[in-house]
Amino acid sequence: MPIIEVRELTKYYRVHRKREGLGASFRGLFRREYTEVQAVKGINLTVEAGEFVAFLGPNGAGKTTTLKLLSGVINPTGGTATVMGYVPWERRNEYRRRFALVMGQKNQLWWDLPAQESYRLHQQIYGIPDDRFRHTLDELTDLLDVTKLLGQPVRELSLGERMKMELIAALLHSPEVLFLDEPTIGLDVIAQHTIQQFLRHYQQERGTTILLTSHYMKDVAALCQRVVIVAGGLVQYDGSLAGIVDQFSGKKIVTLQFAVGVRPDDLARHGTVLETQWPRVKLGITRADVPRVLAETLRDYAIEDVSVEDPPLEEVIADLFHQVS
Amino acid sequence: MGAELMSVNNLSSLSSQPVAEHRGESESPSRLAEFRRYLRVFLTFARNSLIRDMTFRADFIFHCISSVAWTAMNVGFYVLVFRFTSMIGQDTGWGRDEFFLFLATVWFINSLVQAFFMPNANEFSELIRTGGLDFALLKPIDTQFLISFRRIEWSAMSNFVVGLLIAGVSLHSMATRPESPVFPSLMSWILYPFFVGCGVAIMYSIMICLAATSVWLGRNQSLYDFWFYITNFSRYPMEIYDTPLGRPLLGLFTLVIPVLVVVNVPARILAKPLNPRADWEWLLAAWAVIATVLCVAFSRWLFRLSLKSYRSASS
Repeated sequence: MPIIEVRELTKYYRVHRKREGLGASFRGLFRREYTEVQAVKGINLTVEAGEFVAFLGPNGAGKTTTLKLLSGVINPTGGTATVMGYVPWERRNEYRRRFALVMGQKNQLWWDLPAQESYRLHQQIYGIPDDRFRHTLDELTDLLDVTKLLGQPVRELSLGERMKMELIAALLHSPEVLFLDEPTIGLDVIAQHTIQQFLRHYQQERGTTILLTSHYMKDVAALCQRVVIVAGGLVQYDGSLAGIVDQFSGKKIVTLQFAVGVRPDDLARHGTVLETQWPRVKLGITRADVPRVLAETLRDYAIEDVSVEDPPLEEVIADLFHQVS
Repeated sequence: MGAELMSVNNLSSLSSQPVAEHRGESESPSRLAEFRRYLRVFLTFARNSLIRDMTFRADFIFHCISSVAWTAMNVGFYVLVFRFTSMIGQDTGWGRDEFFLFLATVWFINSLVQAFFMPNANEFSELIRTGGLDFALLKPIDTQFLISFRRIEWSAMSNFVVGLLIAGVSLHSMATRPESPVFPSLMSWILYPFFVGCGVAIMYSIMICLAATSVWLGRNQSLYDFWFYITNFSRYPMEIYDTPLGRPLLGLFTLVIPVLVVVNVPARILAKPLNPRADWEWLLAAWAVIATVLCVAFSRWLFRLSLKSYRSASS
């Protein structure tokens, strides 16, 4: 049985449309104009226990809204969802004991206190027995190498250190389902890498089901076998990372390195010339044409080196986002 | 950092913990266990707030001094008033000693509300506006409880101590005065804290209702102001509204927004301005109990309704 099931989930917001200027603002006091924002337009999703799924999508695609719906923070406009058999927005304590949400842009730890005080509070709220609490906390702080920072007020920590502390806070009660909303946002490469490593190992050891949203393709490539692309409030793609390129890009990138002095000027007839740095030329070529183009160019010109690659994933996805929006 | 990455390999030590076991124990916790959990959370809040207050020591001391100074000015003002009159109104029984006992009650209730609920209600509006409420909604504990007790402003309790002082002086003066000395009965001593508690509960409910409206209003910075306007009516003996113009106010603030019973009921019980007590005083006390229950129930209903409309903020 799937651990997360989402059917036709929608969330619409009514927002007050503000017009520019003082006069318009004054009129707005008496007559308000509203527009409907369709943040989530009908998402369908099934996740099995132990999966690590990435949500990709441009800003405003509905990723965070979906995570908030699944955490029961907001109520949906329509559709159904169950997580571990619970309807999230009923906000039952039994459900809330078994999952966690981490938001990279918000912090839940007490700003002026050392993180360990917030952890103790979590222990009381979740009713975690002393020995288990200490055991879990020791492991997590050890893994993330933050044991020494436990006694330092949170406001004095760096962004990366704080994010680690937030992660620990979310994991103290050993959730079975974990929602991560951009956990590496704003972090430097090293901190990003540490958190990726940690998440991967944690997930492998515990079998926790994780839904992750991120803007960093590296996070996704390092962690998730399955990618769900959300754009315009709908699921546009659901499958493996490699499959994205197959499905959405009909092109290959062919790089030709010509012999010294060879400078053909009719390359555009094979495809798009992406880059010219003699003796190297990059061509974007329709997949089906690649063998023919290679055969012809190799026959016609003196060529020293050839490579054929998929277009970079980020570009494919950027193109895809662009098309949808 | 290298050590950090390597330490990730220790993860194999992450023993697959008995998740199922701990679920079993939390499935249907007994009422007593739940009560103890809530009590522990409350104590942790109190403790964390104290740690925080002590971190900002100067702020804490300054806050104590300024609020005690404000009290002293009030006391001075009323001492001055009683140099021109011996009683508030005619035959109301609110002489100087009785009135200062009333004032002490105002101070008890206000300091309790300020210490326990004011910072939380104010933060609640802020949590709604910024979307910080998200985290409170994730916790497996009653959201209203979590929001209401998160922070305790210990410095506000300095006014409680001042209230004790005022009450002590006026009780002593009442007991030792040559003309009709008053000794509160045992019953009064029992009922007084009970009705002070009712008063605090009513004030808390009004505050939560005001704070919950920020869900619909988007922002509610006038919360403090509105609170001040309303509660100002509670700070004087209700007899002063007993005029043709004041009676509608008396009705409104007794029956609809019952701020008048908040201080009046406990203060009358201890100060006993009317001797013997009048029948309507007992009716008023009974109403205070009913009003407390209604207010708390209403605030809870409104709070839950507001959570349904909560939209969170962009992250």
